[in-house]
Amino acid sequence: MGRIMRYPARMEKLMPPEKLTVDTLRTLAKAQGLELSDAELASLLPLVEAGRSGLAAIRDIPPQTEPASQFRIF
Amino acid sequence: MSELCWTSMTELSRMIAAKKVSPVEIVQAHLDRIAALDGKIKSYITVLGESALAAAKAAEAAVVSGGALGPLHGVPVGLKDLYCTKGVKTTGGSKILAEWLPEEDATVVTRLAAAGGVVLGKLNMHEFAFGPEGLNPHHGAPRNPWDNATHRICGGSSSGSGASVAAGMCPGALGSDTGGSIRIPSSLCGLSGIKPTYGRVSRAGVLPLAWSMDHVGPMCRSAADCALMLAPMAGYDPRDPTTSVLPVPDYAAALTGELKGLRVGMLRSFFLEGAAPAQRAAVEAAAKVLAAEGASVEDVDLKSIGLAPGASHAVLAAEAYAFHEEWLKTRASDYGADVRERLRVGAFITGAEYVKGQRLRALLKNEVDAALAKLDVLLAPTTPIEATAVGQNEVRIGEETLPVRASLIRFTRPFNLTGHPAASVPCGFTAEGLPMGLQIIGRPFDEATVLRVADGYQRVTDWHTRRAAPTA
Repeated sequence: MGRIMRYPARMEKLMPPEKLTVDTLRTLAKAQGLELSDAELASLLPLVEAGRSGLAAIRDIPPQTEPASQFRIF
Repeated sequence: MSELCWTSMTELSRMIAAKKVSPVEIVQAHLDRIAALDGKIKSYITVLGESALAAAKAAEAAVVSGGALGPLHGVPVGLKDLYCTKGVKTTGGSKILAEWLPEEDATVVTRLAAAGGVVLGKLNMHEFAFGPEGLNPHHGAPRNPWDNATHRICGGSSSGSGASVAAGMCPGALGSDTGGSIRIPSSLCGLSGIKPTYGRVSRAGVLPLAWSMDHVGPMCRSAADCALMLAPMAGYDPRDPTTSVLPVPDYAAALTGELKGLRVGMLRSFFLEGAAPAQRAAVEAAAKVLAAEGASVEDVDLKSIGLAPGASHAVLAAEAYAFHEEWLKTRASDYGADVRERLRVGAFITGAEYVKGQRLRALLKNEVDAALAKLDVLLAPTTPIEATAVGQNEVRIGEETLPVRASLIRFTRPFNLTGHPAASVPCGFTAEGLPMGLQIIGRPFDEATVLRVADGYQRVTDWHTRRAAPTA
């Protein structure tokens, strides 16, 4: 099977993700039916940011690497 | 104090079969010790004294009648309180499930009972298994038996399992491991524990933290006891579609003591280089012990290992949130503050981020497989630090100050992502007398080699024979 290129060659030119704020977190939480206080959102923000930055560091997965979870009918 | 409380499961099994001791005597000795010590240590949530004694009497009768005996016949075991037990409270260490009475046993509970095991009780844990310290706001934080002066963590989430076995209140217990929850408390409490390959042991009837990273396994005082306890638990279960149909080898027979010719890889960067000096020295010394027994040891690195924390965060947090979503919306105040906050983080993982984590997971698994294509096992410290004081949030490792939580899971969680079998065995003590753990990682479904190495190491060292001396 040939290599499947799914990424542009120069990823660094992609727009960086917008920095999260308590307000954006509140909107995201509400969209999921979670009602959180300002204090709870403020406390969550650094944890969510830390998770995002850990994920942002994952940039160079070879394109042919499929997710570990695959649907199998058998 | 009865010496029976420090006798290995293997020896107890032999003594019972030889009619040298009654299961009733063994169970009573452990119940007495629990009554004397556990008010302070807080390792049990529910002690099943009455049913344990009844089971012990039945086991005694079976010995007298001369019937066939299972490998654990009459031997006490403890269950982390996330294993479903029919008609017996299964709390998950939570307030939410404080009164839950499951309608059936977890598969492993059924299998341990069929092997003759006698359940002493349900063990304390980090609430819903979501924390490596092993704390619990509802049932109290189990106390590490190795320090009577300072209230130290046992490591988690299987903290009650660690404390009870290390304190002689149970010879072996079930833990569960989603980011290190068998291996971390084994390391911090001076025990031997093994997280088998993902798919080797059924998760049916086990409260999930993250379905794709949860593993079930034993925590004991020796690798030989882990082999004894793992054998009846392992193997295909139609109730858990992720279990493998691969045959289960005879783990006890694999414990030959032979280490000559063994090819060992030392995980140096990220692992050894990220550990505190005492842990690093202990693991390097353990490698020398294996080399002296005829093993060859070489350094090996995993290229993508530095990305494992980000990937495991995405997978674990998203799956845990998916399981808890409804309770987080309806019973949020019933969670402990730390677990509630940690679970809520999962609400902000996107689908694409979850898949990214799963792709890194596949990549990392391939890298570990490649390393193990030419090596039999990999070595690493289990944890970079020893047991910290309850309430301590940061720790110094070399020149860095790091969070305790992240440090505890750093070396174990990668193998929850990859699913490889990994054990922890004691490999030394700090200057303060606190245990340190050696992690041994093997090929998928090759628990036999992992256990052989762990047992071989224990045949020529005595770290695992040292006893904590907890006071009431």
